[in-house]
Amino acid sequence: MSYLDILKLAAPETIVVLAALAVLAVDLTVMRGTETRLRFVIGGMVAGVGCVAAAAWLVVVPTHGGVWGGMMVVNELTQLIKVGLLALTLFTVLISLEADFTAHVGEFLALILLATVGMMFLVSAENVLMVFVALELTSLSLYILTAFNKRNVRSAEAALKYFLFGGMAAAFMLFGLSLLYGLSGSTNLREIAAALASNGLDPLLVVAIVMTVIGFGFKVAAVPFHLWAPDAYEGAPTPSAAFIASGSKVASFFIFAQVMMIGFAGAEGSGAWRNYASGWVPAIAMVAALSMVLGNLVAIVQSNVKRLLAYSAIAHAGYALLGILANSEFGMASLIYYVITYGLTTLGAFGVVAAVEQGTGDAKLSDFAGLSRRAPFLSFCMFIFMLSLAGIPPLAGFFGKFYVFAAVVKDGAVHLGLLWLVILAIAMSAVSLYYYLQVLKRIYVADLPTGAEALRVPMTAQVALGMLAAGVVLLGCFPGLLVERLTALVLLVGQP
Amino acid sequence: MTWIVKYLWLIPALPMLAAGISALAPQRCRKFSSSLAIGSMGLALLLSLWAFVNSVQQGGVDGADRYFNFAWLQFAAGDAGILKLGWVLDPLTAVMLVMVTFVGLLIFIYSVGYMAHDENFTRFFTFLSLFAGAMLGVVIANSLLLLFICWELVGLTSYLLIGFWYHKPSAAAAAKKAFITTRIGDVALLLGMVWLYHETGTLLFYDDGAGCLETSALAKLIATTTSVGMAVSTAIGLLIFAGAVGKSGQVPLHVWLPDAMEGPTPVSALIHAATMVAAGVFLVARVFPLMGAHAEGAAAETAALQTVTWIGAITAVFAASIAVAQNDIKRILAYSTVSQLGYMMMGLGTGGVAVGMFHLITHAFFKALLFMGAGSVIHGCQEEQDIRKMGGIRKYMPITFATYAVGMLALAGFPLLFSGFWSKDEILHAAHGWPVSHVPFYLGVAGAFLTAFYMTRQVALVFLGPNRSRAWESADHSHARGNPPTHVGGKDKGAPHESPAVMTWPLIILATCAIVLGFIGTPMWPWFQSFLGQEHGEGLTTGVVALMVVSSLIVFAGIGVGWWLYGRKPIQRADKSDVLEKLPAGAYTWLERKYGVDELYEISVIRFNAWFARACDFLDAWVWGGAVKLVSLITLGLSWVSRVFDEFVINLGFDQSCDGVSRGGKLMSRWQDGRVQNYLRVIGVALTVLVIILVWGGSR
Repeated sequence: MSYLDILKLAAPETIVVLAALAVLAVDLTVMRGTETRLRFVIGGMVAGVGCVAAAAWLVVVPTHGGVWGGMMVVNELTQLIKVGLLALTLFTVLISLEADFTAHVGEFLALILLATVGMMFLVSAENVLMVFVALELTSLSLYILTAFNKRNVRSAEAALKYFLFGGMAAAFMLFGLSLLYGLSGSTNLREIAAALASNGLDPLLVVAIVMTVIGFGFKVAAVPFHLWAPDAYEGAPTPSAAFIASGSKVASFFIFAQVMMIGFAGAEGSGAWRNYASGWVPAIAMVAALSMVLGNLVAIVQSNVKRLLAYSAIAHAGYALLGILANSEFGMASLIYYVITYGLTTLGAFGVVAAVEQGTGDAKLSDFAGLSRRAPFLSFCMFIFMLSLAGIPPLAGFFGKFYVFAAVVKDGAVHLGLLWLVILAIAMSAVSLYYYLQVLKRIYVADLPTGAEALRVPMTAQVALGMLAAGVVLLGCFPGLLVERLTALVLLVGQP
Repeated sequence: MTWIVKYLWLIPALPMLAAGISALAPQRCRKFSSSLAIGSMGLALLLSLWAFVNSVQQGGVDGADRYFNFAWLQFAAGDAGILKLGWVLDPLTAVMLVMVTFVGLLIFIYSVGYMAHDENFTRFFTFLSLFAGAMLGVVIANSLLLLFICWELVGLTSYLLIGFWYHKPSAAAAAKKAFITTRIGDVALLLGMVWLYHETGTLLFYDDGAGCLETSALAKLIATTTSVGMAVSTAIGLLIFAGAVGKSGQVPLHVWLPDAMEGPTPVSALIHAATMVAAGVFLVARVFPLMGAHAEGAAAETAALQTVTWIGAITAVFAASIAVAQNDIKRILAYSTVSQLGYMMMGLGTGGVAVGMFHLITHAFFKALLFMGAGSVIHGCQEEQDIRKMGGIRKYMPITFATYAVGMLALAGFPLLFSGFWSKDEILHAAHGWPVSHVPFYLGVAGAFLTAFYMTRQVALVFLGPNRSRAWESADHSHARGNPPTHVGGKDKGAPHESPAVMTWPLIILATCAIVLGFIGTPMWPWFQSFLGQEHGEGLTTGVVALMVVSSLIVFAGIGVGWWLYGRKPIQRADKSDVLEKLPAGAYTWLERKYGVDELYEISVIRFNAWFARACDFLDAWVWGGAVKLVSLITLGLSWVSRVFDEFVINLGFDQSCDGVSRGGKLMSRWQDGRVQNYLRVIGVALTVLVIILVWGGSR
């Protein structure tokens, strides 16, 4: 395989890297000294063009293939997910255009793009080495993005916390992956699975599994590896938090599922209530159950909307893990549908929070009081996002949950054992309605604080939020648009 | 597949879109919302005409290849897990489309005049458009599910429109009554639908041989029997028919329709005369293959169709007799509607789709005409609805009178010239030839007599004789009572006056239709029947002619008796008792109180329901409420514990350190130390616990 072929395969990633460099170059040379807002607009345009170009390449030039034992595998499914990632990046850039927390515009946008590159490589990886490298590229960019508000000490604090926790998780994961290499003699996921198939579940493999779960559990913020999330979400500049909660989640969940379903195929075990058997399924089932319970319950007593969204994210990680537990093609498709729609919704919710924060200076629940009279459109968008997160039909959130739950109980004999988890998930969804409605109650019912005037919401943010809300409604009314395609693609590329 | 079949959804989508836009428009955009509604309806009419012409050109009796299905929702993998919706353009749909859009358009135009002074004009047109869209959705649906969705939307908009003047307690109560009563039928319909899906695996009517109204599914339904020995097709048909009973106001669920007259008159005309109540009849016509499905060699009169016939015949005469003793102009028309819907059901049961549908179409036109005429009268008489307080309006409202007379003669079935005669005669003819029993025929004839009678009574009281309006009288005699004169020259303000042109023109158009439409389905030229795919071989035989003569005589007798009692020597004062009160044994009171059905429901169903509701309330407040409170307390407690755990055990010192950072670097080291420890501890503990659990589980 020549370098030209590799370049072709990696063309979208290359385009995004070039866009990141271009943003830096433009911002540090031509735009130097001009006002921040203008720099954001110009930089955002360059970044946006990069994202759109990469997405266009993915759609128009369907290149498929792989290199070096799964270092980079490009197929229809990964291409579709990359398009989704680019869309989330684009929306993140859009809602950050009016930001006033930093003067380092070029660096901020470039880091977002670099994180995106990491996620795109992550999605394509079928090799544990590449998984780790791409994961680190993403994570390091996100640490810096979290720390980006240098005027706020909480931002730095959050980033440091995030970084230390992430570093430890990565160390555990690398340890686990090296154990895996030792056991199987390969770094390719499919070869690992083939090599492991002959051995039973020896304790070393158990340690490897748990360590891998820890590494990914940190990325998707599942209990008990979630401790960084509330502080990071609260302290980080809101666009960064939005990006951590949306794009990074999509890529992490996909690769988590890939590693578990492909790499540990044969070591599933069983998480059934009465028919327990060791493997990665019970491990993840426990993590999922803990996430759903803790995330939802703690979210109830939050008074800061960003923290609330963080705990909601933890709870949603619990639901999404059910998609991995289903361990089937349909589970994979429903997981991807879930995380993409969740990414869109949570990005929108953070967009609203960013706008409110800019207007009132903080994002406490009380800052949302009477928002419907200060910014009706913004409130309406928040209405849709919150209800979708709570899983009210006909919004995308409902079908996300529906498909994931359905995937788990689908193959009666095998998966009905996990019914307890689905029942728990449904019960916890009911609980979650409480705190989502708390937010909406503040917006629509609570009295307007005296002296509050109409909120000035930038046009770009309004357009972005409107599009996100429309997307959530559209994917909810016509879930088949995405999920049928996903199912077909998962079957086509032959996942487990 | 032609363009119009594929894009048939545009017809309901247009009014729905108009409803959506005007729902967002501010209240003051009156002109905008009414023109939007009328424009969308006009476009829908054009499209419907196109669809109709297309359907006629096909000459296709067979709707089988004129549908468009699409996958809506995938709830499981594979083909069986795809839920499909679709629409169909068969003659039935084509006819209904044209009727609904045409009558609807005229009523929209009429409403501009009728509602001109209402402050919620915009909201009114929003609801009207939404209703029209939903009704058109019912008509084009090729899936029982889609039909049901639109059916419920129709019910919702009906509720909204009956209760449009929600500040009137009676209107609010009527809206609730209509909604709840029809819901009883809808539950049965839903059950029937679920059962049908269970048996056939599809809810599409036509789907290239796999639809639930096509041969293979029907054969399966006939072959299966329920535990009581009834064919499944019959059981499902009866459940679906129960939905139609609710919507079309058949006995015993007819009680909501007269009360629904609390809504604005255009609403009564649109919903409760022309379209929505006809939806029930349409539904039966739509699933007619299911209702009429019978095994080879068995009698064609299935149990389902017999039920339809009997219910229809009883309703026809029952409601007609109540109408005789009512004094509210709209209530009379309401009971007349119930009665006519009974005729349609009877027609469906005895003569098939074409017979029932023909009466549905003609009735839609002349009943809309009558309601709008009544609206015009009410509008002209200062919102007076009691016919005893009217009288002599003919000279003040000539156009209204002329068109109303046309509608009355059509409803009464005046021979040869009016559409009602032809369609009603079809039904009577079919009932006459019904092999099961002749009783429905006699009931129908009795109903025809009563219809002619009460319509003559109404017209005589409203339009003929002296004016008995109290308000107007007092204005005339104000001098005699020593009051200061209330009017200064010119025309008396209290006098009835003709309605504006925007209201009279629709009346004239509808009156023309009420005459002309009958000629498309006469025995001499049964075009309508053959279009709907029913052969009508007999032509003008002696039997048909004899029956026509009989029914004409009945009608003449009805009109004659009515004239004798009310027209010959008109009553002079509003409080004078009705001639019929001389009937023996309190029959009049009995009729006036509608046979006490409302009271019967009041003491039986409603009292039981209220008692049951109180019992439920008690259970809810004390038993379940307590349990819920307990659970919520536990949940809150748990969440507090979790929070305490999360914030004070794990994040120990973190929040304090936040302040510490702002105060200075002195506390920094302690903060960092505590954090790393705690965080690492969690990862370490998690690793250990998970490994132990997994290893222990594996070694077991």
